[in-house]
Amino acid sequence: MKAVFTFSLMTLRMLFRRRTLWGILLVILLALAGIASVPSFDVSNQGRFILDFGLFGIEVGALLLALGLAATLFPRDRETRTLMPLIAVPLARWQYLLGRFMGAALVQAAALLVTCLGLMLILLFHRLPIPGDLLPATLLIIIEGWFLLSTVFFFSFFTSPPLNWPLTTMLFIVSQMSVAEFVGIMPSAPGLMRTIRMILPHADVFHIKDPIAHGFEIEPVYFLIAIFYGLCYSAFMLSLALAVFRGRDLK
Amino acid sequence: MKRVCIPISTLILIPVTLTLLLFTGCQTDYDITDVAPADFLDSEEHAPHDCDIDHDHSDGECEEESPEELPLDDHVEDSHAGHDHAPGTRNHGTQWFFNQPWAAPFIWKKLFRDGGIFLALAVAVFFISGRRRKK
Repeated sequence: MKAVFTFSLMTLRMLFRRRTLWGILLVILLALAGIASVPSFDVSNQGRFILDFGLFGIEVGALLLALGLAATLFPRDRETRTLMPLIAVPLARWQYLLGRFMGAALVQAAALLVTCLGLMLILLFHRLPIPGDLLPATLLIIIEGWFLLSTVFFFSFFTSPPLNWPLTTMLFIVSQMSVAEFVGIMPSAPGLMRTIRMILPHADVFHIKDPIAHGFEIEPVYFLIAIFYGLCYSAFMLSLALAVFRGRDLK
Repeated sequence: MKRVCIPISTLILIPVTLTLLLFTGCQTDYDITDVAPADFLDSEEHAPHDCDIDHDHSDGECEEESPEELPLDDHVEDSHAGHDHAPGTRNHGTQWFFNQPWAAPFIWKKLFRDGGIFLALAVAVFFISGRRRKK
């Protein structure tokens, strides 16, 4: 595992040097500031409005970060021919994948925590209270971001980056759909659609912006279950990615 | 003749995963409203109202005026005008809010089970894909 940690730190440093990360972070923070400046009109509490849309903005930011950070990692390694010497001696393929994933996941988590701090500052600027569950809500978005990251890795092993973006975005949208909505895509085969939906993730598990915005308490055990679910699904996507990667001829 | 060696972990995980997938509950997916217990759904019928007149109303609406006596547009507006719901309760206007996983403890076991299945699948795929490469 030492090789994986070393490689993930190398990935982390490399990603921090890239301008993509800072560009996406700036866009998310600007979007949050923009959301806060929108009047809530007849919504009774401006704080609810900012929290609700702010957390949604952070979630979309998690998608952008996953795509911006990971979509080009493998294709670039292959193009610059740094991949072959890496997997020839010091690293097995699973170590390469895990190292890249862990590095990108740490960078993504740090960036999302910065956006959470930005949202807190915006709330303070508007003299609004900061709910105690804001950090746990961000933690769940980070878990969702890791799932998206693993999906990006999965697609990156057999598609080009321009195709990776729409595919991951499509999975992101589909994972937000309820079973009834998903079956509605092809109502003639409800059993098949329900079975397919079972394999797809349930992103609504990670959404607690509504209860937070309305001041509801959430039981701590729910956080644990949601984190467990998200991590297991990420592991599943990573294993699929590894299966594709192992089957690839890199010559 | 080459000797084929399959790891014990793979031999255990594959049948366990298949068994889990063949459970009736695992074969198809469902929404919260599909499996919600009656008391969860009934809470919208019995949510406390602050009606002007205290009386029974089985359809969740107060009946100071019967729907037939109202014009269509007035009925839409007035059907909710005669009563108030206690804040933070499930009712006909807040179903979407309470039909989310955080508010439905009866679905948490399913989430836990799904997580276990995905984890088992992940381990199985990891070992199986590794075996293919060794060949």
